[in-house]
Amino acid sequence: MISRSNSALLIVGHGSTVNPDSSAPTLKHAAEIRRREIFADVACCFWKEEPSLRDALLFFRDGTIPEVYVVPNFISEGYFTRTVIPRELELTGPETHRSSGQIWKYCEPVGNHRGMTELLLRRAHDVAPEISEAETSLLIVGHGTSLNDNSAAAAKHQVEKIRALNRYGTVLNVYLEEPPLVSDWLKLTETRNVVIVPFFISDGLHSDEDIPAMLGIDAADRRSTGAPSQLHGRSLFYSTAIGTDPKFADVIIEQTETFRAQRLEPQSAS
Amino acid sequence: MNGLAQKIALAKWMVAGLRRIGQISITVRKDGAFSLTHREDTARDDFTAYSAVEDAAEIARFDDAGKYRPLKTAPNLRHGWQLMIGDLSGLRLALDLFYPGRLAAFLAEENGLLETTPLRESLERQSGMYRAAAKIRDEEADKLVGNFCRSDGGCLRTILWKRDGEGAIASTQLPPEKFDPQHDQTGLAEAVVPLLCQEACNLLVAEARKMVKSEGVASPAE
Ligand code: SF4
Repeated sequence: MISRSNSALLIVGHGSTVNPDSSAPTLKHAAEIRRREIFADVACCFWKEEPSLRDALLFFRDGTIPEVYVVPNFISEGYFTRTVIPRELELTGPETHRSSGQIWKYCEPVGNHRGMTELLLRRAHDVAPEISEAETSLLIVGHGTSLNDNSAAAAKHQVEKIRALNRYGTVLNVYLEEPPLVSDWLKLTETRNVVIVPFFISDGLHSDEDIPAMLGIDAADRRSTGAPSQLHGRSLFYSTAIGTDPKFADVIIEQTETFRAQRLEPQSAS
Repeated sequence: MNGLAQKIALAKWMVAGLRRIGQISITVRKDGAFSLTHREDTARDDFTAYSAVEDAAEIARFDDAGKYRPLKTAPNLRHGWQLMIGDLSGLRLALDLFYPGRLAAFLAEENGLLETTPLRESLERQSGMYRAAAKIRDEEADKLVGNFCRSDGGCLRTILWKRDGEGAIASTQLPPEKFDPQHDQTGLAEAVVPLLCQEACNLLVAEARKMVKSEGVASPAE
């Protein structure tokens, strides 16, 4: 495993003023990465919680840390990664040189990671290990509209990639706020088994209440029994949000690797 | 490894007797371990015992009534727990989960490197749904900060920022000690590691926006 004993890692999350589960996965991934002692220091910051992105400007003020990797724990590029994070962290591009000489390296959001498709498939498999995938519909849930980002496009992109693998009978995008809606699952699918994976960073109101309500299942089932919900003669297997997967710790680390690899590549003529 | 500068500073603060931070009391035990409790709990012994650094995040997440605490420096830390921590690295991480970012802010201040941002500048910088917050009038901001940031029931931080670039006080409705890092904002009058506020938090910005929006409905002539 790589060692970055003189680099620091800053993981940027959205956080929430109402949902206590929002920042939990980000904090967990940070704790796991810290445990591995790859970086000299690991910290988180949040748009809607403390420490704020502005607070993070005061972190890593340590002469022994020449570089800081910034990894957005977001599903897609969009308003937050392009506008809010650079503004609040005073980033001027992929690499920002601070007056102290420290360099802040702005990595791509976790949702862009090339292994995301594999993670979604693994989640889908783990929640329904015994079923035949060919006779199963896989629904990837995105937020859709209203949110000022490209998460719907990112979810679409994942569905296309999974579909191309020809493993599941059907692979579809469904959304909370735009058609095809989660609540149309019965119309959209024909198979006996339906697996639903939220393409979200954390569990919270959407995945604990909104999606189960739209599916017509009891959300508590998912946590307690692990057994599928039976509805209209179908079996519904509902997974937790993709971002709660412990593998996200690896994804975050690998985003810093990718950044480094890309910067090392010879620049193209443009 | 791991935030060396902060760890050295923390050790110094412990030696200097700064063993209170916000609502937390830190006891240094003979074996070098640290015991953390709520400051109002030092006399009790019916604690729920915790020993993992990360438990700090769980303890800090909900208040006594089980309600989510969106502002970690609000004076509503729950009671009835004791967190045992083996070493200084752990103490630093735990305090950073209880009061995120505050050690870094105090250290920067001690080193004369803490820059503060006037409220107007924080508001002007906003985009998207928060852009409207900048329309708040001075009198309204004065009232809002006086209420929202007050140590008694609002937030235990020491305010270091000004209302504007001219240096207007953040709020005339707050007592002078709200701006004094030496002052123990809990009112218990002990030596503390202060919880510094160098720039308005997102919650205050959101409140400013709310004020502007509600006014838009209430007084359309404005
Ligand atoms: S602006 Fe500062 S003092 Fe006011 S509530 Fe937010 S953190 Fe506390």
